Amino acid sequence: MRRVAVIGVLLIIGAMLFYAIGKMPPMNSRNTPDKTHVVPRYLEKGEEEGGARNIITGVILNYRGYDTMGEVTVIFSALCAVVALLDREKRGLSRSGPDASGVRSSIIVRTVVRFAFPVILFFAVAYMMLHGEASPGGGFQGGAILGASVIVFTLAFGLPESTRRMPLKVRTPLESTAMIGFLSMGFIGIAYGVNFLTYLLPGVHGTIAQTIRNLMITVIELGIGIGGGIIFISIVFAMMREDKFELRPDIPQP
Amino acid sequence: MNFGRIFHNLNYAVSALLFLIGLYTVAVKPNLIKKLIGLNIMETSVFLFIVSVGMVDEGVAPIVTGGYKAAEAVGRVVNPIPQALILTGIVVAVSTTAVALSLCLKIYERYGILNATEILGREEP
Repeated sequence: MRRVAVIGVLLIIGAMLFYAIGKMPPMNSRNTPDKTHVVPRYLEKGEEEGGARNIITGVILNYRGYDTMGEVTVIFSALCAVVALLDREKRGLSRSGPDASGVRSSIIVRTVVRFAFPVILFFAVAYMMLHGEASPGGGFQGGAILGASVIVFTLAFGLPESTRRMPLKVRTPLESTAMIGFLSMGFIGIAYGVNFLTYLLPGVHGTIAQTIRNLMITVIELGIGIGGGIIFISIVFAMMREDKFELRPDIPQP
Repeated sequence: MNFGRIFHNLNYAVSALLFLIGLYTVAVKPNLIKKLIGLNIMETSVFLFIVSVGMVDEGVAPIVTGGYKAAEAVGRVVNPIPQALILTGIVVAVSTTAVALSLCLKIYERYGILNATEILGREEP
């Protein structure tokens, strides 16, 4: 009954969606309004105003810099919520001991991961983060790949091995690098008497100004990448439990 | 309805279809993990839609290299704004998924099941 009602509602929504799609301008067209009004300005002035050859990086870090700072806050709050709900991996009933299942992944998996892990890490840091302003990439993408590489390592070698190499006291300060990088670079602008998150400082001209701006963007990208990656790693570590869930003794089993 | 136009806007049609699949999953499936998967499918459909809006035939990435002249570039360069928006969207989607999954873990620890209707019908342990 419920299913029939849901399908009826979905049919109505679907009819409306497809009607709207039938009215939309053709895809891949060069004359849609979004490409004729705002974009030319970004493409013409993006490099000198945004400070990055990759216009997307310029949009993210400069035109929409406050938005990106809010986004960094969102992933940090997500980590806070996960940790508040699940606790860190060092405490808890079953998460700090050796692998309770006693199952090791096969030697093929472990060997491949051992070879691939440094390459993935290098790709994340050197190509995505450090070169992200001039090629496809950027802080968040690099952070996602950094997190994914460590998660792959954890899946192959187990959580104890992974937390031994990346202990909590190393991760905790690194989790906030994204916000610290953003805020410190933003307050440089205020210290010079201009708006928050201004890359082109007054009183500095020529190539030095460009160099300072590139340095600031690189610092923010690195901060976002490392901070975001470590936040992803910490979320996964907090969620991972090596054996089946153990109920707390004071809660009776339903 | 103009079916030819819909076929030409294939990405839009697929994203609408994905949205409906996700909505169906969220509305009908009682399992909380499946509801989350449906939510993620819906998010992905929105990302696909918005990125498709910025696409251009034979487009190139919006990266300034060498003699990049805006006049000829505007026609060929992919719209960078949807991509920047979707980057934000993906990160927010990951964050909400992480929080929702940890809530699911706590629910499973407490009730031993993930079936939403059963949990609602069950008395507080």
